[in-house]
Amino acid sequence: MPKKGTKKGKSADDEPKEQNKLPEHLEVQRTRVVCKADAPTEGFQYAGAFAAMGIDNSVSVDKFCKNFKVMVNRLTEDDMEFDMIGIDASIANAFRRILIAEVPTMAIEKVLMVDNTSVIADEVLSHRLGLIPLDADPRLFEYISENDVPNERNTIVYKLHVSCKRGSPRLTVKSGDLEWLPEGSQLPLASPAQSGDKQKTYTSFGQSQKDIFEKPLGVKFKDITIARLGPGQAIELEVHAVKGVGKVHAKWSPVATAWYRMLPEVVFREEIRDDAAEKLVKKCPVNVFDIEDLGNGEKRAVVARPRACTLCRECVMGPTGEQVELRRVRDHFIFTIESTGALPPEVLFTEAVRNLEEKCERVISELS
Amino acid sequence: MRHRREGNTPHTAAAVSAPLSALPPPGGVMEHGSVTDSTASTFSIMDEDHTLANSVRFVLNQDPRVAFCGYSIPHPADNKVNIRVQTTGDSAKDVLKDSLQDLMVMCQHVRGTLDTAVTDFRQNNPTDMNVDLNKK
Amino acid sequence: MDPQQPEPVSYLCGDCGAENTLKPGDVIQCRECGYRILYKKRTRRIVQYEAR
Repeated sequence: MPKKGTKKGKSADDEPKEQNKLPEHLEVQRTRVVCKADAPTEGFQYAGAFAAMGIDNSVSVDKFCKNFKVMVNRLTEDDMEFDMIGIDASIANAFRRILIAEVPTMAIEKVLMVDNTSVIADEVLSHRLGLIPLDADPRLFEYISENDVPNERNTIVYKLHVSCKRGSPRLTVKSGDLEWLPEGSQLPLASPAQSGDKQKTYTSFGQSQKDIFEKPLGVKFKDITIARLGPGQAIELEVHAVKGVGKVHAKWSPVATAWYRMLPEVVFREEIRDDAAEKLVKKCPVNVFDIEDLGNGEKRAVVARPRACTLCRECVMGPTGEQVELRRVRDHFIFTIESTGALPPEVLFTEAVRNLEEKCERVISELS
Repeated sequence: MRHRREGNTPHTAAAVSAPLSALPPPGGVMEHGSVTDSTASTFSIMDEDHTLANSVRFVLNQDPRVAFCGYSIPHPADNKVNIRVQTTGDSAKDVLKDSLQDLMVMCQHVRGTLDTAVTDFRQNNPTDMNVDLNKK
Repeated sequence: MDPQQPEPVSYLCGDCGAENTLKPGDVIQCRECGYRILYKKRTRRIVQYEAR
């Protein structure tokens, strides 16, 4: 959906100035999204938008590489917040979409139920198991398809065997009770005509996964409640975890969520003093504004924390709304990524970017 | 049915395109254009959605050789996206390929910049784990 | 091939939960508490589900 911009055709008198700068109001329209009380107003997005004035509105690759900046604000094991400056919304959104839906993870897919006498129905229990985040690096695994045999390279096997004895209090089954089986499945396949050691199971592991992976492949959070057992109830099952992407099922999404917002900018159209200033400061729920004392008992409102603005528009509503202008910087994105734990957030973002590159490569090779 | 965007070609070019009932191409990209006029075509890409199409559309718009470009999703249930490119003289396929190359270069640059930023951040905040500059 | 089930099937009493093995033709009654409602045990077959 192309954004149709209209060329702000000015008359010939205002043709290219020596320093090639746009008049201020056009510059604001070009680089900011103005958020009025009712709706935001857009600007122009194509290379030739200001050609009549001699301004180059294009974002060539060289210009992009020169002006692009990244600033990390918060980086922990599980989440990160960083700023991307100089990138367009379509590409930032592409990264967000890929992070949510197309970066692969490992999650439980097959549940082999041996015994379930709990009050949780089989399929409900299976659904819950699928949503448990696993601490396994998906880059070390291969995808498995319909006809493939489950082996140590494409499947992780866990077992859950809990029972609540008669006379004991109720037992809570937590995700930490899932035991990793590095040798593969332990359940025999139905065919009875087996004798000797060669018992066919649901998987065919050539070697133990303990030898391939340095870290034990457990669950990420051990305190997730799966089910509760009363006295005499038991659960015995085996699960296979495989690699997949969030597009197919949300359990394979590697992020709790990932989102971005554009950097807010709060600008005063007129100076706000004294009582009006006090009222304004109180209006804002996140304390964007502050009072500055000018001496002589005079006070003035200043913008102290524009980054915290949530765009609730309290300050632009009402009769005094015209004094404040809310804007978003069009190419400054505050990205937040919350990982579910399989991969650290900065690795997730790198994988997402790589995914977009692979998409481009795929189309290029198809075109040639 | 806004299935394909036609550009305003002044002369009637012999439009040659695969019949709509054809099977999806094994490659995944089909070009609907004209034999005589290579500056305007619609590229039908399988297994893609807004993620790639909007980004490519943005990069295409920045290219001065492009007279018109846009994308549409013919039906949300089909996994297909149509990208329309009309140029000022170059072959549309070449311009699209160049734009995809540019997008790849931009991605690589983003990756590199982020890696440097993360390394710098870790160096300047060695206490690691749970550092939040917002709370300072 | 015994025409009538060869293995005795065990049922669970509805009241006390004790296991009772019954053969075809037995009175349907718990051996321990006399409750007359008995439940069949869950199958031993392995059922496969998709975790979706």
